[in-house]
Amino acid sequence: MFTPGSKYLIAITGLSAVSFALYMLLVHPSALGAVALIGLVAATSLITGVALFTRDGHTPEGQTSAATVDTPTPSMWPLIAAAGLSLVLVGTVTTPIVFILGIVAILAALVEWTVQAWSESASGDRSYNEGIRERILNPVEYPILAAVGIAVIIFSFSRVMLAISKDAGAIIFIVAAAVISLVGLLISVRPQLKKSIVSAIAVVAAIGLVGAGIASMGFGMREDLVVAAEEDHYSHQECGAEKSDHFDKGVSETISATSGADATIELLDGKLTAQVQGIEGLQDSITVRRSNPSNIIFRNKDAGEFRLKAYLGKKQIADGVSEDLITCTQLISEGAEQWLTLTINKPSVSGEPYTLSIPGLEGQSIVVVVP
Amino acid sequence: MNHIESTSDAVPQVHMLGRVMRRLKPMVLGAAGTVFLASCASNAPQDTWVPKGPNAQKIDSLQKPVFAVAGIIGVIVAVVVTYSVIKFRDRGQPIPKQSHGNPALEITLTIIPALILAVVGVFTFRTVFDLNKTSDTQMIINVTGQQWWWEYDYPANNEYGITQPIITSGQLVIPVGTKVMLRQTSRDVIHSYWIPALNGKRDAVPGRITINRLEADEPGIYAGQCTEFCGLSHANMRMEAVALSKEDFAKWVSNQLKTYAAPAENTLAKEGETVFLNQCTRCHQVNGLTRADGTPVIAAPDENVWSGAAPNLSHLMSRNTFAGAMFNLVTPECRTDVWKSESLTFGAKYLAGVDEPCLNQTDLRGWLRNAPAMKPMYANPALLAATGGKYRGMPNLGLSESDIEKLVAYLLTLK
Repeated sequence: MFTPGSKYLIAITGLSAVSFALYMLLVHPSALGAVALIGLVAATSLITGVALFTRDGHTPEGQTSAATVDTPTPSMWPLIAAAGLSLVLVGTVTTPIVFILGIVAILAALVEWTVQAWSESASGDRSYNEGIRERILNPVEYPILAAVGIAVIIFSFSRVMLAISKDAGAIIFIVAAAVISLVGLLISVRPQLKKSIVSAIAVVAAIGLVGAGIASMGFGMREDLVVAAEEDHYSHQECGAEKSDHFDKGVSETISATSGADATIELLDGKLTAQVQGIEGLQDSITVRRSNPSNIIFRNKDAGEFRLKAYLGKKQIADGVSEDLITCTQLISEGAEQWLTLTINKPSVSGEPYTLSIPGLEGQSIVVVVP
Repeated sequence: MNHIESTSDAVPQVHMLGRVMRRLKPMVLGAAGTVFLASCASNAPQDTWVPKGPNAQKIDSLQKPVFAVAGIIGVIVAVVVTYSVIKFRDRGQPIPKQSHGNPALEITLTIIPALILAVVGVFTFRTVFDLNKTSDTQMIINVTGQQWWWEYDYPANNEYGITQPIITSGQLVIPVGTKVMLRQTSRDVIHSYWIPALNGKRDAVPGRITINRLEADEPGIYAGQCTEFCGLSHANMRMEAVALSKEDFAKWVSNQLKTYAAPAENTLAKEGETVFLNQCTRCHQVNGLTRADGTPVIAAPDENVWSGAAPNLSHLMSRNTFAGAMFNLVTPECRTDVWKSESLTFGAKYLAGVDEPCLNQTDLRGWLRNAPAMKPMYANPALLAATGGKYRGMPNLGLSESDIEKLVAYLLTLK
């Protein structure tokens, strides 16, 4: 009754079931582990069942039928569908992207597998059937594969560029461009070059690039990018000792900033003044809309490095305990300017105004009025 | 042979077409007549052909000749096409001889439109640059759009007696003969500010400040409408610009800067103040309002409203509208009295504000009773998942009739 192959599979199924039971009972189970082991049990059970049903695929001599002579073409799509199903299972307990990849794999496998199976029964001519399959699926397969290929190459290249220094990046760009140009030139002047050689060059280059990308991902981003990300340079909080080295100096050039300055605050000869579009003369107060991001330009015209500090009231952090809400620009040198974006939700109350000031410069402040 | 067959098929089709045309004729004429008569409407406050200020006049001076040129060309094209359709319609005649290419005609038909467009372009560019001139601005007003109302705040401007910023909504008040610069933005989605009698439209875009200029020649009220689809109540997002003489504007400023006057003790309005404190100050600010212990009341619309703001109701009764200018705060009779008054008397009538006889009790009470029933808004507490529990618009507060009575009495004191 039990064939030799099915015996091994029954043992594996039993072992995986025991593993699952022990894992659930003795170990602190995680959802991912449980899904993996129950998936293993299900997979081995299925294979065992198939082995038992087909008696290890052995067909007694003399019983070969006409239907089994013309065997279907070996196909990778069942394998991909199974992988997709596994990704769906894993994705349900990990991240949505894994789940989505699984769904995409299953859908692709279903379409390809269905069309392939249909085309194989179109006629008795295998090459004709393959032609039908290609006519239907190639217009879909080629663009998708090309897009995926381009995306993988761009992604791999970007990982390499993020991992290496800026100078090395420039050199690699130049070298890569030169190599591509030379190879292109070689192919154009030697049209008799074998197709296999050209394909081999392209495949080696692609594999090399993807390998470099994977290695770069393992290596991680270069240090200054890591530090810049940790600094969260869009919301400076430190108004004391300077810590940020990698703040975004280009932020002032964004469209929203250049088109939406509410006021310009200038430090000149130790005095802090405000200029507001449409109002003549220097002001000692500015009006800022409530509940709306407002851009302030800070321009340092004095010798030395200064920053603009905004006091935005207090925030209650516990019963009877509150802390000042403060935000600042970076320290900027003479002649430089930087932007500060304020969002103030509550109208200002007389007696405790919102202010803009320069740390270390006493007696100079601009009142920020929120109607 | 084929040609003869198609001819025999075409005859009944032509007859059927004739019958359809005869039936459509009165309907087309009726629709055209209606459109023509609608253009003669006397009560059209958003008429784009009646400029009331220099900016709108510049647009008018451009659009009228362009409209005339475009109209003449349009009529010529329509007549030629109609003539061709009728004259050369299929009556079973043989297909005429086909010709391809007529360089002289094609060049002519390319050059003439190009010349016309070039001339229109020159004048259009000049007008655009004129309208964007800001160097002679005399007053700035910050305009902030949100679903579905406009907020106006006036930064301090000593020249006009604005010693402290003023905030209002619904009605934009400006002095006549003054070059006013609106600094527009939005707290949520893109809106567009348009007072047709005073200038063209300009978008209010979140994260950006766009400049719009207004100037009114004479005192009066000029109606407008948000012209960028902005959600459920876009059609109800209205605005009015109120132009006052410079003397009257100074009086308006003076009134807006008046400190809060609490209602007298043991009055219905005082009870209304308590209701307001308990129910309304979560979103609505009234400057100067204090709690019983003397601490100032600071509204927190940022915690309750998706856009982060609700109308500041200080001096509410100095306005003629509420709820994004969708409803009149005054009765139709009183409103007509203000709108139709002569320039010399307009200011005094507007500045009189809203008193009890003129108060539109029906709409105000209806609004307090169930605001979402009067203006479509996303204010159902059960359907706020997309906005993190925050409202877009005013919810139904479930006020009792007694509370509404008290609130109306209180709101009437906010002059």
